[in-house]
Amino acid sequence: MKAFAKSPWVLHYDASSCNGCDIEVVASLTPLYDVERLGVINTGNPKHADIFLVTGSVNAQNLMVLRNLYEQMPEPRVVAAVGICATSGCVFRECYNVMGGVDTVLPVDVYVPGCAARPESIIDGILQAVEILEKKHAYMKSMHGRMKEMTIGRATAVDAPEILALQKIVYQNEAEMYDDWSLAPLRQTLDDLRRDFETRVFIKAVVGGKIIGSVKGIMDGDTAHLSRLVVHPYFWKQGIGTRLVQEVEASFPKAKRFETFTGQKSRHTMEPYQRLGYLPIRQEKVSEHRDRVYFGRDREGA
Amino acid sequence: MSPLDTALLAIVVVVAAPIAGGLLAGIDRKLSARMQSRWGPPLLQPFYDVRKLFRKETIVVRRSQNFYVYFFFVFMVFTAALFFTGGDILLTIFALTLASIFLVLAAYKASSPYSFIGAERELILMMAYEPMVLLAAVGMYLVTRSFIVVDIARSPQLLALRLPGLFIGFVVVLVVKMRKSPFDLAASHHAHQEIVRGITTEFSGRTLALIEIAHWYETTVVLGMAALFFAALPWLAAVAAGCVFFLILLVDNVFARVKWQVALATAWITAAALGVGNILVVFFLR
Amino acid sequence: MTSLAFLIALPLVIAMLLLVFRPRVVRSVIVIAAAVVIAVGSLSLLLPQPGFLSAPFQVPAEYLDWIVLGVELALAAFIFFLGIRHVRHLVSLLALLQAGLAVATEVLFGSRIEVATLIAADRFSLIMAGIVGIVGSLIAVYSLGYMKAYHEHHREYRDRQPLFFFLQFVFLGSMFGVFFANSLPLLLLFWEITTLCSFLLIGYNGTAESRGRAFLALTLNLLGGLAFAGAILFLASTAGTVELDKLISMEKGAALIPAALLAFAGMTKSAQMPFSSWLLGAMVAPTPVSALLHSSTMVKAGVYLVLRLAPLLRGTIPGTMVALVGGMTFLAASLIAISQSDAKRVLAWSTIANLGLIVLCGGIGTYEALWAGILLILFHAVTKALLFLCVGTFEQKTNTRDIESMSGLIMAMPKLSIMIQIGIAGMFLAPFGMLVSKWAVLKALVDSNPLLVIFVVFGSSATLFFWVKWMGKLLEVTKVRQADESGIAGRQWVALGALSAISIGLVGFYPLISAQLIEPYVRGIYGQVAMISQGNFIIMSIMLGMVALFPITFFVYQKNVRVVDAYLGGGNVDSSVLFQGAGGQVKSMEMRNYYLTRLFGERRLSLAGGIACAAFIFVMFGVAL
Repeated sequence: MKAFAKSPWVLHYDASSCNGCDIEVVASLTPLYDVERLGVINTGNPKHADIFLVTGSVNAQNLMVLRNLYEQMPEPRVVAAVGICATSGCVFRECYNVMGGVDTVLPVDVYVPGCAARPESIIDGILQAVEILEKKHAYMKSMHGRMKEMTIGRATAVDAPEILALQKIVYQNEAEMYDDWSLAPLRQTLDDLRRDFETRVFIKAVVGGKIIGSVKGIMDGDTAHLSRLVVHPYFWKQGIGTRLVQEVEASFPKAKRFETFTGQKSRHTMEPYQRLGYLPIRQEKVSEHRDRVYFGRDREGA
Repeated sequence: MSPLDTALLAIVVVVAAPIAGGLLAGIDRKLSARMQSRWGPPLLQPFYDVRKLFRKETIVVRRSQNFYVYFFFVFMVFTAALFFTGGDILLTIFALTLASIFLVLAAYKASSPYSFIGAERELILMMAYEPMVLLAAVGMYLVTRSFIVVDIARSPQLLALRLPGLFIGFVVVLVVKMRKSPFDLAASHHAHQEIVRGITTEFSGRTLALIEIAHWYETTVVLGMAALFFAALPWLAAVAAGCVFFLILLVDNVFARVKWQVALATAWITAAALGVGNILVVFFLR
Repeated sequence: MTSLAFLIALPLVIAMLLLVFRPRVVRSVIVIAAAVVIAVGSLSLLLPQPGFLSAPFQVPAEYLDWIVLGVELALAAFIFFLGIRHVRHLVSLLALLQAGLAVATEVLFGSRIEVATLIAADRFSLIMAGIVGIVGSLIAVYSLGYMKAYHEHHREYRDRQPLFFFLQFVFLGSMFGVFFANSLPLLLLFWEITTLCSFLLIGYNGTAESRGRAFLALTLNLLGGLAFAGAILFLASTAGTVELDKLISMEKGAALIPAALLAFAGMTKSAQMPFSSWLLGAMVAPTPVSALLHSSTMVKAGVYLVLRLAPLLRGTIPGTMVALVGGMTFLAASLIAISQSDAKRVLAWSTIANLGLIVLCGGIGTYEALWAGILLILFHAVTKALLFLCVGTFEQKTNTRDIESMSGLIMAMPKLSIMIQIGIAGMFLAPFGMLVSKWAVLKALVDSNPLLVIFVVFGSSATLFFWVKWMGKLLEVTKVRQADESGIAGRQWVALGALSAISIGLVGFYPLISAQLIEPYVRGIYGQVAMISQGNFIIMSIMLGMVALFPITFFVYQKNVRVVDAYLGGGNVDSSVLFQGAGGQVKSMEMRNYYLTRLFGERRLSLAGGIACAAFIFVMFGVAL
């Protein structure tokens, strides 16, 4: 049964277009096209929406809004870029404030061409989005209820490609947050990562055969330095980070002290450490918008 | 009725009421579309929507917010069972109020500005319709000498003839109760309200589906109460409920949303003029 | 018999002890011991089959009359000189007039009147005594902790705790007196003692403001006292009796004037409009005073008297007027409560409203109304005391009692916030007691006077609004707050916990109380009785069972959900509260409740309600005369 095909609810956001596409989106609701006959509702609320319909290009003003709205949509969710500005930035591409199409910020699933996009193509885009929704739901279902069978254990060099992919997903978010695309984890090559396995301990969290989180650590004197704590965004706020950190700590039985660092705004990374009693030590500037905060704690009884 | 019969009937109601309510919601959307010269969604669209919502991820702002919705749902089912098994009508109204309060508390708990304003407005609306609903029950008592739904339904008198003011007043507050324009201040089924989705803004996935199903129960209960005015002639009761439903749809599509002051004044003045006037006439001509 | 006198005398003795033994530790011991004895004593009266409690008193009535008169004159003199000293001539005048009436009664008719039953107790008095005994003792225990903290917070007020506890116990004793006295002059004496206690406790802080409010309360209550004294004089001259039970069994026509006068006295004591201002003013007193005197017990003396008169008022025009005053007060006060953000004022207005509902029951005077009225007294006393004490505790901790500042209390003070919610739910939610009573009132009105239904239905929809928005404020969380409930004494928690437990327990046990106490009393008067049918009771029990499951959710958190920020139009800045406004600046979101002050403003509505009620009272006296 195609549950999503019958009832795709849409959230429409106008990033920064000339309003041409917006008017066409609204036109699809009118009696002539009447998308409601397909069960489409323009909800105006991310919490209720399945499809994020974005018109216009991304600029510095709406970047945060786009990310917030996407974050507040329940899974499965699909992003559709409507019109050429949303697809690529179009003639505004070179503007000082324009960053490009929607895919510079969000994972776009459907591109609807046109300037302005015609209602027919918009409806077509929605119907394509619906199919992707079904696929995503099937994936969600396959993961559903498997959190209990999550295993945490030592990763080997064989896992390197998967960990690298995960790392890129997570650090893309970070890069946007700090507007700093020079982050080392983003630029790391597979060979480089494979070499890390010779000197460092890697811990992975696995659900349904897929790696959804990892962290690494290395001994230096009495202190174990932990870093690169990543968890796939689907699985945030479920205590996976904390369990990863506990596991990597356990693999350094001789360490008297643990230290790590995160970006000053990276709440998701900071939280597991803070929950385990890590305290901030110092803060240093690494780029224009990014500070590095160092955390550390002594092992109990050490 | 023996307790066993009552229990069986209650089970039938619990199963049948949402089906009826969902179909009504479907008719609602279809008819509204036709009034706007659109084709409109399929008749079963509300069921499709709910089926999808059950497959969505549940996201929350506060981890405890959904519990209030569960209680809202349970009490709404309870209300429907109580009403259609012929219980005390005042108790039914109190149970309905209790259920609605849980939804309002859920919206408060979600701690978002939109759901917060939705909750406040919903409270104003509850304050607006509550007197009229109670007066309707009082009027029915004055004619039939009973608050028990079964007894009221079995009364040989056509209540609407004795209580025309109360019936009209009740239809007015039904517009409020069914969240229809011009009184859909707190949470509208139409998209793009000034307060987003009001009380339901922060609810998603299966929680939202439960709210939807609870509304179906609610629709059947309030329409059932309207039909009670014609209970002496069952065929007329069905026709009347249908007409009331159609009328409310028409009003929904014709009127623009009003401010809370107007909503409150309309409901209260109707209750005070038509409701109380009708009750006094019945009481003194008895 | 002796136990009745014992209950009256014991608190008075304790009060004296408290005045003599002033160290804090000794005081705590005395208060706690006394509280236990009084609570157990008042409850023990309920245990045996009552009825034998009404026996002639042994003291020769001859002397007792003069003793009562003497004490009364002493009180009048005290009030007279207070009035002179603070240049409140109206107070002096009222005290003088009342003393004059009392002397006139005694001199003119004293020798001719035989008082057969001086003090007596029936089931109604015993219920009242039980309420005073239990709620009063719990509040006394609570006060021990509260007053200590109060004086630590408020260095500017002189620490007069011995006086405070002295007055509290004198008050408790005289409340028992009010409920047990059958002789009206004796009842009036206790009545005036409670008025004086109220006056002194309102003025406890000794500021100009509190003194002004105290005198307002005194003036209005003396007005009622004057009517009371007038009723006694009238009764003595026309009927040759000054006993309450004889008055009630008199024929309606002859008793109408004293009944109207006494009902007037009751309405002033219960702060009905247009006399409601004194109760609002009384909120300057420390919170235990508000809880004890101005919501759960003293003001109940007024409605107690009105309910006593119910058989006389039933079906008469003055009775209808009393009902109208009550109904109007209920409606206006409930609407006004919407516009209040000070928690104590909300409680005060809601108290006035509920007293109005009880007065309404008394004015209707049918058996159903009487049953509902007594239930209302019971539920309201317990729940309102709980709410007042909770607000007091909140104020003690945060130095404010603004409902807006209770935002997120469920995190900051979880225990207290749950107790407030129990109290609020008890005040209006199905299936809790107050709602059961309102339901009964509605049924009573439909049969007798459906015009009055309008007050009840509109008034109760207003109560729904202000209670739920308060609940919502407690639940809504905009920022994470650390739970901190330190600094609240264990004795305070004991009192709060006990009141919460009683509030919930009453819902389950009220059918028992009704069957054992209220129904026999009502049947004794009318020969018939109203009750909630068994089927409905089962349904309500199911509802209670479901609601009772709710608190579990305070401790269970949903695990398999994703937590996201609240919707702020996409402008969130890393939180549910902060958002990016125009020009890129970060602003904080704020949520405040609706108060609808333009529509439901206090001044406007109390003026309108006051005028209407004053008119009803004039009609009442006009017809009675």
